[in-house]
Amino acid sequence: MSTILLVEDDPDIRHLVSYKLTKGGLDVIGVGDGIAALRAARDHPPDLVLLDVRMPRMSGIEVCRELRAGPLRADVPIILLTARSLPQDLEQGYAAGASDYIVKPFSPRELLKRVEAALARVGS
Amino acid sequence: MLHLFTVVIEVLAGIVAVTALGIVAVRVLRKRWQRRQAALAAGPRRSLLAFVADNGEEGSHDLVAIPDDAWRAAEPGALALLGKLRGEAHLALVSVFLRRGTARIALANLRSRSRVKRARAAQVLGDLELRQAVPELCRLLTDRHAEVRVVAVRALGRIGDPTAAWRIIASLDRPDPVSSLLATDALVQLGTEAEVTLSAALDHPQARVRAVCLDALGLLGAAGSVHRVARVLRDDANLDVRVAAAVNLGRLGTRTACEPLALALQPARPAALRAAAARALGELGAPAAVPTLAGLLDDDEFQVAHEAAHALRRLGSAGTAALLAAVEIEAERAARAGAGAHARPSAPASHAMEALALARVSAEPVGIGA
Repeated sequence: MSTILLVEDDPDIRHLVSYKLTKGGLDVIGVGDGIAALRAARDHPPDLVLLDVRMPRMSGIEVCRELRAGPLRADVPIILLTARSLPQDLEQGYAAGASDYIVKPFSPRELLKRVEAALARVGS
Repeated sequence: MLHLFTVVIEVLAGIVAVTALGIVAVRVLRKRWQRRQAALAAGPRRSLLAFVADNGEEGSHDLVAIPDDAWRAAEPGALALLGKLRGEAHLALVSVFLRRGTARIALANLRSRSRVKRARAAQVLGDLELRQAVPELCRLLTDRHAEVRVVAVRALGRIGDPTAAWRIIASLDRPDPVSSLLATDALVQLGTEAEVTLSAALDHPQARVRAVCLDALGLLGAAGSVHRVARVLRDDANLDVRVAAAVNLGRLGTRTACEPLALALQPARPAALRAAAARALGELGAPAAVPTLAGLLDDDEFQVAHEAAHALRRLGSAGTAALLAAVEIEAERAARAGAGAHARPSAPASHAMEALALARVSAEPVGIGA
């Protein structure tokens, strides 16, 4: 079973996404901020990271950069969850090491499909 | 005298003690109320999140059957979710709200005497994307309170009904209008069906209205309006509006935008307009604009030459070649004059070198993960 590290400060969205991914047969570690995310990535290396961009303490972009610099394997996909979809915002995400992004408002069904597709790409 | 003083002190101490007790009591009661509300909301919240995650395939009857007090506790969180979801999950959540009568109450509250209630109702109707509410929300665009007008504009944008376009545009022509950015954002959300209205509003007597409509047309990519936008660029009496027309011709990205932009570069035109036109030619991505832009590298106006260099950078290999040519000409001139390595380069070469340096930085590979 693949493990997803879900980093999202909104508890309702965290609960909703966790529920959807768990129902889709994935193991989810949900955390509410960047510091907890870095710790979780070290303690339980995930197969994919779903990362909110706008968070208190550390932004998703900073977390992404830190994950790429340290605890995460290079082939582990990082998908950004972001309300900002301007080309420069996305470029910033890719430059920090993100593999893909999902724009909010999002569809839970589409989110699950995107996660499954990213995991399949790594598997193949 | 001493007795009077003691009495005053005792009365004051009593007031302080009662106030302190009052504050503590209010805090305790508020915490208890919040805990009770959280406990009441916990069950519905779990059911609601599961329902949404399952795209509303099962559990809608359970949500409609939730007792009113528990629903009231869970409703703010559920309303906040509306703005974060789309697709079937959003539709499923909306259906629950409609069945629980949330829309009916919000529609009634749009006429409340309380501005907070009116604004909240407008927000809810926008999040529910309820087209039926558009006429009432349009009425709120002339509300006497600015915050209500702001929420109404946002809600109309969220609903995305193009019939609201003219009312949003008209609301800009008042003494205390909503911000241009907010109006532009809402108009863009109305989609391409609003193009005809936006295009017609380019003849509006207010410059601010014309500028907002130009931005909305540009952001919508309304290529059918290129000729009208070009006419504004040529004929409008207001410089800011003409600059907005140039910027948005660049955004529209059609070949027909090249000629009016090139005309706007003529030396007799204001520098701000010429700089905007040069930038827009770069945004257009038309290699045909390279000779025109290369000719501007030695323009007397710093901003025009600067924008021309960066527009060439954006045009890719043809533009980069023109920038390199400008640098080479400068190198040859310096060699002929016997100038050393530290000789000050000419203005065209400086602009070209800056643009080339930025092109190199932008082209550096970034560490994109798997």
